[in-house]
Amino acid sequence: MFIVDDDASFLRSVSRLLGAVGYSVEAFVCAQDFFARSAPERPGCVVADLQMPGINGLQLQEALLRSANPLPVIFLTGQGDIPTTVSAMRSGAEDFLTKRAPRDELLAAVERAMERDGRERQRRVRHLELSRRVAELSVREKEVLGHVVRGQMNKEIAADLKINVRTVKLHRTNITRKLNVQSVAELTRLADETGLFKTPPENRAV
Amino acid sequence: MAGLLTFAWMCIMTPRAVAQGTEGANFSSAKHVLLIFSEARDLPGNVMMEQSVRAEMLKNSTNRMEFFTESMDAARFPSPRHYRLFHDYIKNKYAGQSLDLVIMFMARDFMLARELPTALASNVPSIFVVVNDLDAPVLPGHQQYTGVFQRFDVQGTIQFIFHLQPETRRVVVLSGTSKADQAVLDRIADTSRSVDGVDFEFWTNRSMSEIYEDAKKLTAGTVILIGSMQRDVSGEPIYTSQVARMLAPAASVPVYVLGAGSVGSGALGGDVVDFDDLGVSAGKLAERVLAGTPTSQIPIEMKSNGVPMVDWRAMQRWHIKSSRLPAGSLVRYQPQSLWESHGDFIVLVGFGFLAQAITIAALLVQRGRQRRAEAEILKQRTELAHVARVSMMGQLASALTHELNQPLGAILRNAEAAEIYLQGDQPNLEEVRAILTDIRRDDKRAGNVIDRMRSLFKRQKLASGTLDLRDLVEDTMAMARPDAAQRQVRLKLEISPHLPPAQGDRVHVQQVLLNLILNGMDAMKTIPKSRRSLTVGLDKTANGNLQVTVSDCGTGVTPDDAVHIFEPFFSTKSNGMGMGLAISRTIMEAHGGEIWMKSNAMEGTTFTFILPPSGFDKVRPGDLPGLS
Repeated sequence: MFIVDDDASFLRSVSRLLGAVGYSVEAFVCAQDFFARSAPERPGCVVADLQMPGINGLQLQEALLRSANPLPVIFLTGQGDIPTTVSAMRSGAEDFLTKRAPRDELLAAVERAMERDGRERQRRVRHLELSRRVAELSVREKEVLGHVVRGQMNKEIAADLKINVRTVKLHRTNITRKLNVQSVAELTRLADETGLFKTPPENRAV
Repeated sequence: MAGLLTFAWMCIMTPRAVAQGTEGANFSSAKHVLLIFSEARDLPGNVMMEQSVRAEMLKNSTNRMEFFTESMDAARFPSPRHYRLFHDYIKNKYAGQSLDLVIMFMARDFMLARELPTALASNVPSIFVVVNDLDAPVLPGHQQYTGVFQRFDVQGTIQFIFHLQPETRRVVVLSGTSKADQAVLDRIADTSRSVDGVDFEFWTNRSMSEIYEDAKKLTAGTVILIGSMQRDVSGEPIYTSQVARMLAPAASVPVYVLGAGSVGSGALGGDVVDFDDLGVSAGKLAERVLAGTPTSQIPIEMKSNGVPMVDWRAMQRWHIKSSRLPAGSLVRYQPQSLWESHGDFIVLVGFGFLAQAITIAALLVQRGRQRRAEAEILKQRTELAHVARVSMMGQLASALTHELNQPLGAILRNAEAAEIYLQGDQPNLEEVRAILTDIRRDDKRAGNVIDRMRSLFKRQKLASGTLDLRDLVEDTMAMARPDAAQRQVRLKLEISPHLPPAQGDRVHVQQVLLNLILNGMDAMKTIPKSRRSLTVGLDKTANGNLQVTVSDCGTGVTPDDAVHIFEPFFSTKSNGMGMGLAISRTIMEAHGGEIWMKSNAMEGTTFTFILPPSGFDKVRPGDLPGLS
């Protein structure tokens, strides 16, 4: 649980509350400090003040989204005006609360953010794992895989690639083995889940 | 002289006339009123009624009035064919014209009332103005009218005769032969029976020329009373006023009449029908109807009293003393007295004396009034400054909410955390104690925000005192800081060390400074965020005054705007009221201080104000920049 707020007193109070309900909390008085000191790849979520001198809340979220560890961000603000709220929610803020929001709302928001981080993290791990395995495939196997996830039959693939149907079957066996999946159905689901093959493999650098 | 006086009178009257003109110029809802006369329009009675009814309606109306006038001239064109033509003429002429009211003036009979409404739109309300002794018409299914029914005051006129001429022993009564004439004649005859010792003679079967000749030969103790004469013995149409004009100058005895229209003909007078008054009554009815009162709800007004009225010239002719006139008599055609003919000259001379006296008195009064006016201005200035201050705080409200929510949020979170700590078996009392310390500190912080604002919301008189400007500037900056953070403006403060105190009112000076800071931030709205910075400086001038500068790097002020920038209601901002700087200047004037602006060499503008040092009520001279 990372908390970023330029108001030292408020930072301390939120840290205390979230610490008391059982989160492990790290507090930062500015965004620069957060990026310098927080280790990448650590799970959790960020609770940030929207208005801060230097890098403000929205800029922090932007930088975080571009990083390798895009943690969900909950914004706290002294007063949420509509344009800022819209802008924050558009760029994917988990939640947007005033500093005096009821405790349950704050904790529920933190809970949701944590869950989302867990989900996203799992997805990213699977994605990473899958792309690592896909990298092990030969050029021809990648071609075949591209056609398979688009739902083409062996005959169609053979015709498209101008190869024998049996050769296609052989490639498919190799693909399921190398990617460590049990069936084409699982393969398609994985592809869908990770978004790995949304564009045809031949246009994509893996 | 008269010209001069007229001019002076016009000067006095003109503003009122102008005011009436603008009130009357409501062109959005014109009222259309049709006036229909059964007789010729130029009969004296009709002229009087038309004038007074119009004048009365225009007097109080806020609407534009459009009058249409028609006359049927029924006495001279009595045939039914003419009547039908008139009916069709009205029907066709006003077919496309919306009318709000029809006023019908009827002397002869009620033909107009009975027949004419079918020529007009059915929903147009009507007012009947009736001058005769006929019974009011029963108009089945015709409820859309009200009116004034005027009877001739026969009894009053006979009494009037004996008032003026108690020696009268013989009354010659003239009457026409129409139905309406006959009704009046009947009443005269009725009344005559109750008068003892006086001989009433009814000349109803003589031609006009016979009457004319016989009237010349009447002897003293006799008077002539002309009743109603619409038609002579041969059946020719005639008018009462015509008869009076022909007869009265030639007659050897005074002639009395029943209508004001015949006064001026040479007749002596009578207890007459006052057509002006009748017109006013009709006009009042018309106003009510136009204002929306249904005619069915306005009862018909029956009038039977006349007004005692005499022709002054006829009184001279018959040697009748004005002491004989009954109270309330109207004397017409009386030449003007010295006062009346040269009154303007007398007034002018008197005016001259009076003016002198007034001037002297006014000069004495003026001094006291000026003092009171100054006090009033000061009071209004204080009020205005307060309003501007409150409105300025409104601008800061969003930022102040943030400023308050920060400590309040911290207090809330700390309290929640403390609750959880205390729920455990082994409460961490050390931590709870730290929390309580934090809560107290945050509470103080929130309190400070409120305190800073509160003084500015108070309505108070200018109270000059020793002023620590450093404290004031820092406080004001603190107030503006949250707003500056929202607008991403950097606030900088440059204060010289060892400054003496100034003389002034804390709240008002703070208002001026806050206004300048907010203006400065507004001026930087359109420049890139990285360059938005505002510097407040506090220093002592070479002449020993205290000087505060507010410098922005905004879009600047054009030379044209700079000339007007301190004027009320001048604003370059789309949502600006244009009062901020005007009030600031007023405040500075009240402090014996100065405020001015100067464009910066590079970009933006610097506003400077100077205050006198403590103990002085005016800044020391020499600090004002030249006009460069």
